[in-house]
Parts: sequence; C-alpha cells; structure tokens
Amino acid sequence: MDTFVFALLNGVIHGLLLFMVSAGLTLVFGMMGVLNFAHASFYMLGAYFAYTLQGIVGFGAAVVLAALLAGAVGVAVERWFLRRVHHHGHAHELLLTFGLSFIIAETIKLLFGNHPVDYRVPASLDFAAFALGSQQYPAYRLLMGGVAIAMFAAIWALLTRTRVGIVVRAAIYRPRMAEALGHNVQLVFMGVFGVGAALAGLAGAVAGAFYTTNPNMALEVGVMVFVIVVVGGLGSLGGAMLASLLIGVITSLAVGIDRSIADLLATFGARDWAEGIGGLLTLKVSSLAATIPFALMLLVLLVRPRGLMGEEA
Amino acid sequence: MRDSLLTAARRALPVMATLTTLSGLAQAAPVKIGLLETLSGPQASTGQSFRSGVRYAIDKLNAAGGWNGQSVQLLEYDNQGGPAGASDKLKAAIADGVQIVVQGASSAIGGQITEDVRKHNLRNPGKEIVYVNVGAEAMELTGEKCNFHHFRFTGNAQVRTKALVAGMKQAGTLGTKVYAINQNYSWGQDVERAVVDNAAAGGYQVVEKTLHDTNKIQDFAPYVSKIVASGAETVITGNWSNDLLLLMKASKAAGLKVRFGTVFLDQPGNVANAGDTAIGHFIAHAFNPEAGGAESTRFVDDFKARTGHVPVFVEPQAVFGLEMVAEALKRTKPQGDALDVNAFAKVLEGTRIRTPMGEVSMRAADHQVLMPMVVSMVTKDAKYKADDTDMGFKPVKLFTAEEAAAPVQASCKMQRPD
Repeated sequence: MDTFVFALLNGVIHGLLLFMVSAGLTLVFGMMGVLNFAHASFYMLGAYFAYTLQGIVGFGAAVVLAALLAGAVGVAVERWFLRRVHHHGHAHELLLTFGLSFIIAETIKLLFGNHPVDYRVPASLDFAAFALGSQQYPAYRLLMGGVAIAMFAAIWALLTRTRVGIVVRAAIYRPRMAEALGHNVQLVFMGVFGVGAALAGLAGAVAGAFYTTNPNMALEVGVMVFVIVVVGGLGSLGGAMLASLLIGVITSLAVGIDRSIADLLATFGARDWAEGIGGLLTLKVSSLAATIPFALMLLVLLVRPRGLMGEEA
Repeated sequence: MRDSLLTAARRALPVMATLTTLSGLAQAAPVKIGLLETLSGPQASTGQSFRSGVRYAIDKLNAAGGWNGQSVQLLEYDNQGGPAGASDKLKAAIADGVQIVVQGASSAIGGQITEDVRKHNLRNPGKEIVYVNVGAEAMELTGEKCNFHHFRFTGNAQVRTKALVAGMKQAGTLGTKVYAINQNYSWGQDVERAVVDNAAAGGYQVVEKTLHDTNKIQDFAPYVSKIVASGAETVITGNWSNDLLLLMKASKAAGLKVRFGTVFLDQPGNVANAGDTAIGHFIAHAFNPEAGGAESTRFVDDFKARTGHVPVFVEPQAVFGLEMVAEALKRTKPQGDALDVNAFAKVLEGTRIRTPMGEVSMRAADHQVLMPMVVSMVTKDAKYKADDTDMGFKPVKLFTAEEAAAPVQASCKMQRPD
C-alpha cells in the first residue's frame, strides 16, 4: 500500500513538472500557431540562469530572476527573430526555432562545459516532508508540485477572468478585429511568447536543482513535452495538464509492475507457449516504462488525432 | 522531421573534422589510427574523455619516434552516439586508409564495430583492420562475438562486478541483500547477470533486479520506491551518465540508506553534482593515483601537464590501452613500407606492459586484457579531489590482474589467420 501511494504521488508530481514545461509550449501554439522547437531550451536556460545567480542573490530570488530572464530572452526571440519571418509562414518559424535550440545548447556547452554543473537543492529545502513506512518523501518535490499548481491556477485565472485575458483571447481568434478595435496585437503576441518562455524557465530553475542541470536537459525533457502537447491536444492548457498527469502516473506505476504478457497468458494456461516465443511476450512492463508515453501518443493519434482536449479542426 | 534534420546537422560536423586531419596526408603513408567516438550529441562528454586519453597516448608515441621513422596519425570520426553512425564512419575510416580503429563509449556501438570489422576482414584479405576497444564492456565482445581482430583494453561486466563485490565485502559494507539496477542493453544485462553470479562469493542474496531504458528517464523516484520496498542494503549498478546521477539523487531525496557499488561514479561532474550524497559509495575502476606509488604521481603529473587535468574516468584505461598498442607497434617489423595488421595483431596478443597500477597483459585466448582493478570509496580524506569538491576516491583495495580476471567464456571460438 505504501508503495502504491508513493508511486501515485511520484507520478503526480513528475506529471506536474512536465506540465510546467508543456504549458508554455501549448500556450504559444494555441495563440500563435507556432510549434516552438526551442521551447525546451528555455527550460534549460532557466536552470543555468538560476545556477549562475544562486551564488549572488540566493536560491529563491535566483529562481524568480531566472524565470524573468528566460522570459526576456523569449521576448527578444519573438521581437527580433520570429516576427521577421512570420510572414513567410509556419515552416520558416519552425526552422528558426529549431536552429535556435542548437545555438542555445552549443552556447551553454561553450560557457559551462559538457558535464552537469553543480546546481543542487539548497540545504534549507532539503528535508523530508513526511515518511511512510521506511520511505521518506522529499519536501522539495511537494514544492515543485505546488509551484506547478499555482502556475496553472494563475494562467487559468488570467486568461478567463481578467481583461488582459479577454484581449489575448480576442487577439488569437480574430487578430484583425482586435487590431481594428485598437489593441496592439503584436504586443500581445510578444507578451504571450515571453510568458511561455518564462514558464519554461521557471520549471527549469526549479527542476534543474532537483534533477541535473546539464547541456542535454533540453533534449531529455523536450521529447516528452511534445508527446504531452500532442496527447493533450495542441493549444489546450487543460489538455496539457491532463496529459502530463496521465503520463506521469502511468510511467510511475508501470515501473512497479514486474509482469509480462506471458504472465497474463498464464491465466489461460498459455505461459509455456508464450515463453517459448519470447521477445515482446516475455518483456516485463517495468522495463518498458519510459516507452509507454510514446505508445500512448500513437494510440491518441490513431483514435483521436486532435488530442484528449484539443479543439475540432 | 526533427530527427532527420538533427542527423543532417550532425553529419556535417565530422566531415569538417576529417577534412582538417586530412591535410597532413602529403608524406608517404604513415600508420593511421582512427578514433571512432561519440563526439556530438547527449553522450559527447564520454566520447571526449576517451579522446583525450587516446590523444595523450598517441602524442607520447610520436614523441618517442612514432613507427617506422614516421609519426603515427590520429584521425577522428564522430559516430554520433549510435551504431548506425559508427558503421558509416567506419567505412569512411577504411576509405581513408585507417588500419587501427579505436572506440570506447557504449557496448552497443562496440558490438556494431566488431561485427563490421570482422566482415570487412573476411571480404578483404590482406587489407585487414584491427579494432582496439578501450571501453565497451559487454561480455559478448569477448564471447559469442569474439574475433581475432578485436582487442579489449578494459575490464568487462564480470571483472568489474567481481572486484566491486570483493572490495566492498572486504570493507565490510556489502551486506547480505543486494539490489541490481541496470540499463536495458548488453552492458546493463551483463552487469545484472554478474551480480547474480557473484552472489555466493559475496555471501549475499539478490533481492531484486531491474532493467530500465538507457538515459531516457528523468524521474527515478519510482525506482527508488522499489529499492526501498526490497529492503536492500547495497545497490550494484553499471549505470553511467545521467542514469547514475539521477538514481543517486533520487535515493538521497527519499532518505534511502544504501551503499552504491558503481562502475562509472568518477565521470566528471558526478561527484560535484551528487554532493554529500556520493560519500560512502564505491567504484571499481582501472586507475586511482593514490593506489600507486611514484610511478602513479609521474603519470598524473605528466598527463596534467599535457591536458590540464588529472586523468579520471575512462582516460587512464584509454591511455594504458594505447600504450599497449604502441608497445606492440614497436615490436612489429614493417612489411615493405607498411604495417601488416595480422602480424601486428599477433604481437599484440602477447603484449605485456607495466602501468602505474601493475602488470597488464593481453590474453590471447579471447583478447581480453588482464589488468589490475582498484576499488575505491568516496570520502573527504582522499588525496586527489574530484571535480573541485572536498571529496575524492580513496582506494580500498587494489586487485592484481590475476585476482581481477574472469575466466575465458566458453562461447568464444576464435578463428586465427594462418
């Protein structure tokens, strides 16, 4: 039972973290139609910014500043790069962000080296929140989950409950109309892109300390983030939340299942046959844990291409 | 879309690297050694460590006069971290006239290279090449896949695990319940098997075994839950790179009190990143400067003078391996004006050198090197500190080559040329 509770909790928190990164990606896509390949790079930038600033201003302030800096980089990218190629169409924007992700990764390698840097959870936050049985649960994980939930609530409220949200939503659905009514649509787009980048930066600053901060972290999380956005539905914030939690929990639970299809077939008395065939039939579920999200994406694309909560095309 | 662009971008890099090295081709054909390493992508740092060791050894060989009155040429190829890239680059290397191929990072890549080398040599008698393996440690390379033109200059899963178990038992920290967690490919599977095989010698019971995807997992908390549930006292793992670091960090966060027995804990960045979490964990490695005498210090100082840092991680084993290659080259007479690879391989089979850790020799039966192994523990009173921290690796036990050796595998049926 303890194990199950922990697996569930682990899955939810990891899912929330994935949400923090994917929120910005899905937001930008929903608003601007740009699939931002450099999005995970902002996650990495956030971690490195926080690592650099940590020694100067302390951990808490470093995290906030890192998010702001990542947001500023995002704003700059939108203002001086994306806007210029916007009228050439989506393919150009996609290639631009793709190239940008390489430039950021290589710059990080040049400045900080190829190995993970020494960015860790500060001692004051490094304690156990509670213990169940013989296992402790780190407080920092709960903090990560809390930050993600607060972030979700804040964006949700901003978009649906405030005047800014109305303008932003108007700028997405009817950009020309919004412009005709006197709103600066360019500014809105820039702001949205910046906020998206800042969210990823925040996630990086928080998670980089708990996991590792290295030049590959964008690659590591990037693929999973795309899976989440596709599964949840491109552009849907709620969908991203649902898909993140789903993937987090499924992966976490799968690790604990040391069963294979052969075990399932054993109930029909076909175990010997299955073991004779081997291959996929005798593979333990636990050894496939990291592959399951991709299988889920395949399934979603086959039966519901618009994603779990995506809008009808 | 993303992948194809990625590969296209990566493909451009090694071409440039090759072009720059080709400029030295003007004189009559010197011996060419091709380094086929992972120099770009997520695992580039491992490949670059092998490279710095190999470069150091080749520079030394050339400083001592090279071979046949000429400098030996080192050509570098980027295998892009995968068997497919390695296969491609091997063809390029052969076309460039490379006779000795060197590789270390990843047994998956090593498996591809040894097969490609075997096939090439079958099809091109008289133009053989030899594969100098400085780091791929899966058992099959000296087992089912063993062939005359492959030489392994590093330990293997059985050697490492045996030393680790014996060293930790002697230090009194092994315990009776061991958990094996490893990456799900040839190397990880071999370590898992070795942990089971050594159970009787180590006096422990394997409480649980786990194989997981290689360097794809970010959150190890679910695996740590499993370790907690098993009640293990020691975790033995062949994990490297992020998989090792994240596993240790997750254990620390869960308040898990276990000892880790590892093979790659000394990868740069690991100790710094793990912090105090690393203290008390073990490693079985090829070299620890504190375990040797004056010779060790001389080697460390010389390496540091040339590269700017103390040799760590896979660098020493790459240096020792290439020193054996250099020794064998010295004793191989040129045929006409060129190197006869088969004659060189026959000399290499019987090569024996002294390293700061002790006697190292090649075993002709399966081309597995017999080398000393050091088991070390992370402490604060080690002489050489890791990653600018106050911690380092303190030797617990130095095993001689004979003590560390694992027997020849029955599956190795080596075909020798006449």
